[in-house]
Amino acid sequence: MDEKVLVVDQQKCTGCRQCELVCSVYHTGSSNPSRSRIKVVKWEEEGIYLPLICNHCEEAYCVEVCPTKACHREPENNNRVTIDEKLCIGCKTCIIACPFGHPFFDIKDRVTRKCDYCDGDPQCVVFCNPKAVSFMDADKMDVARRREAAIKWADFMKQGR
Amino acid sequence: MTEFNYPIRQARHLKPQEHWGWIVAIYLYLAGMGAGSFIIGTLIDWSIGPSRFIRIPILNLPFDFSKATLLWGPILVAIGAPFLILDLGIKKRFLYACLNPRTSWVARGFIILSAFMIFGLIFLVKSSFPFKWLHGESVLWHILEIIALAFAFATALYTGVLLKATKSIPLWNTYGLPLLFLVSALSTGLMAIILSMLGSGLLTYDSVMMKILIIGEEGLLVLEGIVLHLFLSIKLKATKHAGGSTRIIWLSERLTLFGGVILLSLLFPGLLRNITSLFRGEVVFMVLAGTLLLSGGFFLRLGVLRAGIRDQIPMKRWIEFQYGLIKNPKPEYRRAQGRSAIGGKSETNLKFIF
Repeated sequence: MDEKVLVVDQQKCTGCRQCELVCSVYHTGSSNPSRSRIKVVKWEEEGIYLPLICNHCEEAYCVEVCPTKACHREPENNNRVTIDEKLCIGCKTCIIACPFGHPFFDIKDRVTRKCDYCDGDPQCVVFCNPKAVSFMDADKMDVARRREAAIKWADFMKQGR
Repeated sequence: MTEFNYPIRQARHLKPQEHWGWIVAIYLYLAGMGAGSFIIGTLIDWSIGPSRFIRIPILNLPFDFSKATLLWGPILVAIGAPFLILDLGIKKRFLYACLNPRTSWVARGFIILSAFMIFGLIFLVKSSFPFKWLHGESVLWHILEIIALAFAFATALYTGVLLKATKSIPLWNTYGLPLLFLVSALSTGLMAIILSMLGSGLLTYDSVMMKILIIGEEGLLVLEGIVLHLFLSIKLKATKHAGGSTRIIWLSERLTLFGGVILLSLLFPGLLRNITSLFRGEVVFMVLAGTLLLSGGFFLRLGVLRAGIRDQIPMKRWIEFQYGLIKNPKPEYRRAQGRSAIGGKSETNLKFIF
């Protein structure tokens, strides 16, 4: 089976935060963006919006530091990194370890949560009207665009030294 | 008004972690001090052995607590361990915390601390019971004692390694931190042993042995000061190269809050000792100096925890770069960046809301 990944096109995001709402409703039954697995970061005055999601990293620090193996990889489910809530003790080590600040502590259930691709049908993708978030095959992503972005970024980093 | 509602704006994108606070600081502090006092206590017992000359019974019981005065460190670790459990989301699952020792330092720490507590408490109980067969010079006991000492070292180092393993927080992710915590564990541990020996009457304040221990304590404090200075100065240099990254906040805001206590705990005990020499036999000064030092050890850990600011998320940096919202350290690049920035704002203060 082809591995699918969540892809964000930041330039299409309007900052409506509907993705946060549907995510929290789908996973918790409540309309509470603070319990959402997707977070929209805003630069309000500049009008820039960036949906942040879990990258399901190849070398996932959250998996590495989890003391209970609750945070684990599932190769059979799009190679996703997910948290088994029956094993999670809520130590918050994964939250501190994640360089992207993705996992969050669910105050109500007292465990850590993160994106699980909604078991193969991400609701943020379904309900995103401007199509800023999409769920696509990893090998069909826009390689040229990413390469161009990477070159720009590398150039920036070199000059920053 | 906006600044009031969103204080993060004043600090740009830098925000200290809030997940590990004073509860974890108490755990790290008691684990470090407990392990340090066991190491120091065992070394004193091996080298000087004051418990061989003095017997300390309590309430006319047949037990001798003279050696226990030196080996009570594991009790501190046992008191500190529940604080880590207290910090868990689901406390009743705390036993799960040892399931992944292959890669997780929390799991390894669970095993190290448990082993230290078991071995340490065995020796503590053994030292107090009056049975002769327990105090025989057997090779097995010596081996067990060395194992307990090794676990004590591992516990003292582990408190720093646990934080060092967090790669996304630059202040923590350095080899200097385990070293700093180890030296702090030894200095607080020695002070705890000095106070317990004074309190129990195992040593008097005027004894030669006490003077040697106080000189040792001062040596450790000097060493701690050097390690702390190196730790901070290395981070300050890293800040300059990184171009206004996370560490500035630690130095500017956090250090003023906790640095005072740390410096007081390092400098004031030495000062007090000189004052004490003017007032001979005044133990109160020693107790005051010891209390300051011990509180400094706690605030050192709390300060390091509170100042743990994670590196900025790469995607945010990418967006800021793309829209010309961040400064580039090279002037020629900043000019070029200014021309392409949105609305001509090349170096605006970043403002975002979660």
